[in-house]
Amino acid sequence: MSLKVFAILPIAAALALCSCSGSSAAANSSAAAQQASSRKAAPDFTLTDANGQTVKLSDYRGKVVLLNFWATWCGPCQIEIPWFTEFEQQFRSRGFEVVGVSMDEDGWKAIKPYLATHKINYRVLLGDETVSSLYGGLDALPTTFMIDRDGRFAFSPHIGLAGKNEYLSEIESLLGARQSASAQHRVRFVPAAVVPGAAE
Amino acid sequence: MCLPLLCPGQQNKLAVRPPEPITVRRGGDAVEPLRVEVLGGFHVNSDKPKDEFLIPLRLTWTTGPLEAKSVTYPKPEEVKVGTDLLNVFTGSFQIVTTFQSPSSAPQGSATMTGKLRYQACNNEMCFRPTTIEVRVPVTIE
Repeated sequence: MSLKVFAILPIAAALALCSCSGSSAAANSSAAAQQASSRKAAPDFTLTDANGQTVKLSDYRGKVVLLNFWATWCGPCQIEIPWFTEFEQQFRSRGFEVVGVSMDEDGWKAIKPYLATHKINYRVLLGDETVSSLYGGLDALPTTFMIDRDGRFAFSPHIGLAGKNEYLSEIESLLGARQSASAQHRVRFVPAAVVPGAAE
Repeated sequence: MCLPLLCPGQQNKLAVRPPEPITVRRGGDAVEPLRVEVLGGFHVNSDKPKDEFLIPLRLTWTTGPLEAKSVTYPKPEEVKVGTDLLNVFTGSFQIVTTFQSPSSAPQGSATMTGKLRYQACNNEMCFRPTTIEVRVPVTIE
């Protein structure tokens, strides 16, 4: 029997050559804060939450957002969700929010029972193929983006399970930047000493 | 970054060897082992995952002249991921289907078509559920 359609070996060889950022936590740990001026805008999207309310990413402008793509069937996602719940509680008052976007194919039928049995204190939205395409396909979950107060990607995405301390470091870094880039621009001639938290 | 064709998220984590053709008499049974291989470093949920939210591996036969009397999966491995114990399949394994040919089945060549649905992960990430089509050549004598 021909083995030409048995593609394991070529796939394995390709994987061995691949250095995707999602292939290891080590790659994630190298994620560095991008200079505010070189950050790219996170694509806006409109999705609905469990109550049927329409939510846009741009609604969160002015806040630091941890945008987490996940699914109920994703084991590593379950490890991160309690961290995100903790972050939401700890940093919300400082202008931080977690937004979870579930990529469950079965939609709310799958998500609502999960939300009923797990403690999640942040907003969860139902993803779709449009948002998936906007964010690079999202073939691997969890995938998490840190978005600054101006709606821009502040760090390299975390593809796969990341470290809790990595997230904490990134959140603290962005929350420390109290002024948005536009605000920094407006006050750039003011001595830094009187602009607390302006530097990242 | 890597080329899109080389990214793990865009490749199947599981491959199915071409099934052996089946020859069966009308009214008879035939056993078809489907040989499956999971890419190294990955696992797929077994047919009976422990968590209700996990997506089981499932082989279903959709069209063709034979009836699938039973589908038998191997014994799963128990692996620990984080704090959870999971029932998974890794490496090479077989899923065995026992077909029965109806006594009224038309003689000649045909094809049984099935779907193998699975959901793969490694220790750091999971990949969206995937369905592979399986086609088995059948000769009914």
